[in-house]
Amino acid sequence: MILTGLILLVLALLGAPLFAIIAASAMAGFYRSDIDLSVMGIEFFGLAEMPILVAIPLFTFAGFVLSESQSPQRLVRLSQALLGWLPGGLAIVCLATCALFTAFTGASGVTIIALGALFYPALTRAGYDERFSLGLITTSGSLGLLFAPSLPLILYGVVAAASIDQLFIAGIFPGLLMVVLLSVYSFWMNRRNRTSIADASGKDVLAALWESVWELPLPIVVLGGIYSGYFAVSEAAAVTALYVMFVEILVRREIPWREVPGIMRESMVLVGAIFMILGVSLASTNYMIYAGVPEQLFAIVDSYVAGPGSFLFALIIFLLILGAILDIFSAIVLVVPLVLPVAAQYGINPIHLGIVFLATMELGYLTPPVGLNLFISSFRFERSIAEIYRATLPFFVVLLVCVFIIAYWPALSLVLIG
Amino acid sequence: MNARSTSWLARAERWGRWFEGALLTLLLSGLILLASTQILLRNVFSSGLAWGDGLVRLMVLWLALLGAVAASRENKQIRIDLLSRSLSGMWQRVAWFTTDLFTAIVTGLLAWHSWRFVQDSRLYGDMLLDDWPAWGFQLILPLGFLLICYRYVLRAVREALGRRQ
Repeated sequence: MILTGLILLVLALLGAPLFAIIAASAMAGFYRSDIDLSVMGIEFFGLAEMPILVAIPLFTFAGFVLSESQSPQRLVRLSQALLGWLPGGLAIVCLATCALFTAFTGASGVTIIALGALFYPALTRAGYDERFSLGLITTSGSLGLLFAPSLPLILYGVVAAASIDQLFIAGIFPGLLMVVLLSVYSFWMNRRNRTSIADASGKDVLAALWESVWELPLPIVVLGGIYSGYFAVSEAAAVTALYVMFVEILVRREIPWREVPGIMRESMVLVGAIFMILGVSLASTNYMIYAGVPEQLFAIVDSYVAGPGSFLFALIIFLLILGAILDIFSAIVLVVPLVLPVAAQYGINPIHLGIVFLATMELGYLTPPVGLNLFISSFRFERSIAEIYRATLPFFVVLLVCVFIIAYWPALSLVLIG
Repeated sequence: MNARSTSWLARAERWGRWFEGALLTLLLSGLILLASTQILLRNVFSSGLAWGDGLVRLMVLWLALLGAVAASRENKQIRIDLLSRSLSGMWQRVAWFTTDLFTAIVTGLLAWHSWRFVQDSRLYGDMLLDDWPAWGFQLILPLGFLLICYRYVLRAVREALGRRQ
């Protein structure tokens, strides 16, 4: 059994797809326990028995359409008109815009590509230090993960069987904490560069609002609909996909019809990759529960950890290491089923656990060797990974402080859900 | 491989890609329309298609597998890949060959065992969406895994022949 595990680990490190590793370990386990392997098909078919999953392809597709259109440019102009008068406002504009955009596009790295290209030249032109600008954009690429309707939040809800509506609400304050602390840091770093990029002008604000008039209903309808309980999450996803297609393809015509199949295909490639891992891990999770792994894990953890406080500390360290080698989707699917029962023993609320989990994994986007944002920035701005990493380090520290505040102040996540 | 069989493979490849894209487009468009219709019916007319929600979920499963087939074609399955990047020439190819062969075997097993699951379901006469035989919908499992398996066999063969795609 240990040998199998070692071989699978080496294969994973050599670059075998994760779904194959997970499937192989589940099949090996079932085989040893004399369980018929057709269980793999039965478990994978479980994907068709989770109503909430429909939200994932729909939101992903909507996010891909939005980033292919001119919406990112309009969003930048609007937030500049609204916040640009603040001293050092551009950095704050960048943080706020990226957070909103990431929430809607699912934290797949598309933010840096769609918005980074607009912000980087603007930041350097406004006199921001080059290294600071690179760090800011790279960090912003995954900011907003805690805001509805981000994919990791939905996926956590699916895997943990937790209320996604509650997760959406619980993420608001912790997400804002990250944006605010990063803004404070940016403001402090650029306290000598207090030129604002725009005068406060009602006319500009109105013009920018008018320009974005078709996109503005989107956050209002989606978030308002979900938060007020009028829409279920999967319904909000369908409305978003339909509305985004209607606006960007029919009304604005920024995406020609002939490009739609390509965008659909591209977005479903991402969905397929995520669901493949989810499908096989339904089987592996079931095997692990059958084999009593969570209980064994708890026994081990309990011999080292004294209470909820030290458990959370150990969890954060573990997730930081995990986040450095595993992407957020695989981490949720693989680790949450194991951590959840252990955390429950320490009396940690599953919603709070989810927010801590995702906030910590957000740092994984910024840690070498596989941090996605580092790669995308390095590719997009033609800098070495090491250079990007150095630039993001101070932002990483600020976010780490946020993670600890979020972990040790549960009320921040739970106050709104009562 | 001789020239004729390669051109035949290349043609199958083009058709396969086209068909895959067409099916993905059709399914996703259908999903958006059906899910939206359900909302409209529910909120405006307080009714809904009885089989609508079940069909939506099955379409998601089909999209997942077809998307995974497309992801395998484009080598975009999620992976860790810490070591093979630091290997050089020959060893890198050995690593690629090994992991692709491994993936082909695993997906082959998945295809075979889910095919047995589909057969069982047919034998027991499982039904979905009121009175449709479930095995028809479940068929995408062995089919999808088989196509992914084919993709990795192809890749492994190409690496063995020294042709990285």
